[in-house]
Amino acid sequence: MQASSLGHFMRESGVWTYAIVNLAHVLGIATLFGSILVLDLRLIGIGRRVPLAALSSSIVPVATTGFLIAATTGLGLLATKATEYVGNPFLLIKFPAIALGLVNAAVVTRTDAWRAHQERDLSQAEQRRLAIMGGLSLLCWLTAIVSGRMIAYW
Amino acid sequence: MKKLLLVAAAAVALTTPRIVSAHHGWGGYLDAEFEVSGTVETPVSLAGPHATMTIKGADGHQWLLTLAPPPRTSAAGLKDGMLPAGTKVTAHGHRHRDSNRFEVKTERLTVDGKTYNVYPDRT
Repeated sequence: MQASSLGHFMRESGVWTYAIVNLAHVLGIATLFGSILVLDLRLIGIGRRVPLAALSSSIVPVATTGFLIAATTGLGLLATKATEYVGNPFLLIKFPAIALGLVNAAVVTRTDAWRAHQERDLSQAEQRRLAIMGGLSLLCWLTAIVSGRMIAYW
Repeated sequence: MKKLLLVAAAAVALTTPRIVSAHHGWGGYLDAEFEVSGTVETPVSLAGPHATMTIKGADGHQWLLTLAPPPRTSAAGLKDGMLPAGTKVTAHGHRHRDSNRFEVKTERLTVDGKTYNVYPDRT
């Protein structure tokens, strides 16, 4: 990974490269977490006066964009000196948390409740299921952010 | 809502300085001034959050010299790939708090009478 062209680019294209990519990484995370937080809280039941259908249609594309920015810039940061992170325990918490967050998101979008929420009101049972997955989502992304930040302090 | 914001602000204010000082600040390093001399093993690298290089210390240990962030290190005159292996250097700064880690957060690097002051605002 370190020997990849991405790794070379990160190391050899100017002294500000890492700082700028790092900045974009933070902005990507802020975009993802800031938007998904509102949606997950709504799924849990906070802010019910806003219809879920209105919220989800505006938030999902923003969160997806944030994730893609964070993921691509993150690969660049990692490739800069990938060998330095071998054995960093926070990395081993962060990546499974991201994977679980993505799996959870994929599961949510495949539930009957999610597929139907633009067309009809959801039943109590459906709302409960989505609330649990919303909570799990928050837990995943918070874990990813906390462990991600801690990588630098190991 | 206002109350919630206040609580959040207080929590951030209480925890931030401690977290920030853990590694990338100076809190992870001893307060005492520290100096190590040796010969360069890995030349200056301006990749990553901090510029780095390694030297073989006179004490036989391999020391990691953590310099300033790349733009600042470069401004002090240390460019990527400078100081070939074998160059005699003296690093002045602060040693890592963990005595098992041979790492110096370097403020000044002296090479053949020339001093590269990567943290000119620190003594």
